[in-house]
Amino acid sequence: MHHDPQIATRQRWMSVLARAGQHLARFEAALKDADYQLIRAPEVGMSLVRGRMGGTGAAFNLGEMTVTRCVVRLGDGRTGYSYVAGRDKQHAELAALADAHLQGTQQAHWLEQLIEPLAADQQAARAQAAAETATTQVEFFTLVRGED
Amino acid sequence: MTALYSSEWLQPAFNDPVLDAQASFRGALKALAEPGLVQTLDRALALDGLQAATYALCLAFLDGDTPLWLAPRFDTPLIRANLAFHCGCPIVTEREVALFALLDTEQLDDLSDFDNGSERYPDQSCTLLIQLDALDTGAPLRWRGPGIKDVRSVSLPLPAAFWQQRSARSAFPRGLDAFFAAGNQVIGLPRSTRVLDNAEEAA
Repeated sequence: MHHDPQIATRQRWMSVLARAGQHLARFEAALKDADYQLIRAPEVGMSLVRGRMGGTGAAFNLGEMTVTRCVVRLGDGRTGYSYVAGRDKQHAELAALADAHLQGTQQAHWLEQLIEPLAADQQAARAQAAAETATTQVEFFTLVRGED
Repeated sequence: MTALYSSEWLQPAFNDPVLDAQASFRGALKALAEPGLVQTLDRALALDGLQAATYALCLAFLDGDTPLWLAPRFDTPLIRANLAFHCGCPIVTEREVALFALLDTEQLDDLSDFDNGSERYPDQSCTLLIQLDALDTGAPLRWRGPGIKDVRSVSLPLPAAFWQQRSARSAFPRGLDAFFAAGNQVIGLPRSTRVLDNAEEAA
């Protein structure tokens, strides 16, 4: 996370919004209840994902993934950006709108009403998946055969 | 001006980024293929000081690989922010490194620093995008060359200095290609077009 707390906060809500998927549709009415225009209408493209072996090795190209991006501007000039995985244009538009709203004076309201419930859902889903996976864990025991 | 604050200047560009850019690029190609014939480029909205056709040319041509030189008149935060956002082109201050230049009538009497390509790579010259108030209010000149059957009369309102500068930078295959834009109309002037003087006219 970024050392600037403002940027770190925005990174957090960006990541929650990017993972929200269909769940953002619940907030569609509230998000679209504002004057806004599309600066960059939702568009689908490819993004090259790069990785480092072990997080420290030399960078290599892992592969390309589909990304949808969108930029909106509210009536008062605030702009919201989104980059989300997949081809869901509605998701990208709603995420950009949410980003714009979250930069305004109503930030606390939107954090509480939108981001926290989504973050809690995502946390619960992750925990459940982790718990389900944990039951399939197999411990391997090997006996030392004394060859070396 | 930082990136953080420049976003408030942003405006929508093409309605349909793919089809509008293709149609505009096609229009620009036709303008160069038939020098002196007016082409309509109305896919973009005017942006601040940039008229519709000028902005459409910018949106169709510019990307991250095309350094752009901006005339002082167009060097506003709004135009910079929108070109940076929609085209992603680097904006340079040295004329020599620019692949495209956005000009108005103020710059037409000095084109000496723009790159007119090399013998080996004449295509790497700087393309001039010139915004005028109108395309037909000047003295008629007779153009001849590829894309023109016999002679075509074109009345661009240009100072005589422009034609001197153009021929000074012209050593085929090297030279400068230009687009003239006004409102939503464009006229192309490739380096291969010759402008006849009176003596040749009589011949």
